[in-house]
Amino acid sequence: MNELNVVFFASLKEALGIERYVLEGDLPMTIKELKAQLANLLRNGDALLDKGIQSSIDFEFARDGDMVKQGTKEVAFFPPVTGG
Amino acid sequence: MIKVQQEDFDVQALYDDLVVNSETGAVAMFVGLVRHFSSLPSQDCTFELEHYPGMTEHNLQTIVEDACSRWSLNAVTVVHRVGKLAVQDKIVFVGVSASHRAEAFQACDFIMDYLKSRAAFWKKETQGDKSKWVDAKEQDEESLTRWE
Repeated sequence: MNELNVVFFASLKEALGIERYVLEGDLPMTIKELKAQLANLLRNGDALLDKGIQSSIDFEFARDGDMVKQGTKEVAFFPPVTGG
Repeated sequence: MIKVQQEDFDVQALYDDLVVNSETGAVAMFVGLVRHFSSLPSQDCTFELEHYPGMTEHNLQTIVEDACSRWSLNAVTVVHRVGKLAVQDKIVFVGVSASHRAEAFQACDFIMDYLKSRAAFWKKETQGDKSKWVDAKEQDEESLTRWE
């Protein structure tokens, strides 16, 4: 079992009601698999499955098929960015 | 120089820092402001910018490095504010110095295009007692195809 730090931002953070969650699970797994696990575990977790939700692995933008490997420090989920 | 900060910035001071040597023949700068986004008076509107500490700076660094690999630039400055802002407050500064204007203009435009879609910031608008996260625009994502 691995401990994985997962953080949430903006409207997704508000929908879930939390900004951080420590998942105990078996890595590696894909972003898509991680999202599905969290959607089951968290209150209002379906918000994670919204079409536009983006992700990052250790500060790099990631896609659903990308692998969260052992040793990953942090995964983030968030709505599309709107800076500038 | 890349900075993510709550405090306002001084455009003149940022310009002065971009004129690094006598090779500089052009400085292009962009300043983004909080538009009056509501029918309510400005004083009833607030604007908030959230970011992902660590990732946001990393994103901006990647964008600036990409710009420096595409054009011959003397200096690049990106300053982006976070936290609570008011209508007409400055949000973002992008400044590029180069020997010639074409590089400076293009690199400044490129950095802003990528900052809109590839840097971890989120805007929230509040009008009176109603708050709303700003939706991303498809047009911003499409703008990136100009640089492929």
